[in-house]
Amino acid sequence: MENLEEKARAWVVGDAKSALNLESEYYCQTRDVLQARTDRMTIMLLQNSRIDKNHAYVIGALISEIGNNSFDHNLGAWPDIPGAFFGYDITQDQKHIVLADRGQGMFATLKKVKPELQDDEEALKVAFTERISSRLPERRGNGLKYVRENIANLQLHLAFFSGNAMAELNEKMIVQKTDQNIRGCLAVLTFSDNVSK
Amino acid sequence: MNIELQKFGEFLTSRPAGREAFLILSENHLRNASVSEPIELDFKEVKVLAPSWADEVITPLAEKFSNVTLLNTENASVQATLKTLREYSGLKI
Repeated sequence: MENLEEKARAWVVGDAKSALNLESEYYCQTRDVLQARTDRMTIMLLQNSRIDKNHAYVIGALISEIGNNSFDHNLGAWPDIPGAFFGYDITQDQKHIVLADRGQGMFATLKKVKPELQDDEEALKVAFTERISSRLPERRGNGLKYVRENIANLQLHLAFFSGNAMAELNEKMIVQKTDQNIRGCLAVLTFSDNVSK
Repeated sequence: MNIELQKFGEFLTSRPAGREAFLILSENHLRNASVSEPIELDFKEVKVLAPSWADEVITPLAEKFSNVTLLNTENASVQATLKTLREYSGLKI
């Protein structure tokens, strides 16, 4: 199996020139492309696995929330390459769905509306636990709370990287520092048939 | 008035799509509706409802109209999203 996380990680940390070479099957330049692929993945989850259909729909919704965040927070302000990485392997018992963007990252995004934020770790904690919108006065800011709660409810595992921090979510959430700097965001969702049925 | 949300698609996700749906509803369905008009939002055949879409449609409709009810909400993604809106967006229905 191709390691999707490594591929996505290489894309977000690499230079812009090499990032332009990402295969089209993973690259979603616009929101519409990402959304169509997310819907298709949800349908494939229903067709090709033993996962409960209601769980598949919730997984589709939370992947949509994570992916749309890339566009909601970076549209018109991409540092270099616009769009998102989206790849998945849902044919094995252990399933992987990977999303990434080369956007501004969680800390820079949230610091606009919460200037007291100190670092990447604090930004991730806030993003997954507090209702905060980086696009005030628009109503926003509940998507990642939805993600956190449903990761726990469905016994999924999410590793979410941004800057020099990682949030690891399953039944609880742990945020820690990382050595590698992720310029935007990288999300890796893992789950198996066994825990989802 | 019964509004079949499935007519906007089985997969209701993203804020731009929700905003567009809200504008269409406001213009085509609810333009002459009074604040107390009974409005049924019907989730029959909706498979995926994400909080972003719902927060652009359900939250403002529930704020604007006093008699909004939700039908056929058994789908797990609908249930989960409504729970999130009640918790984080102040949805009262």
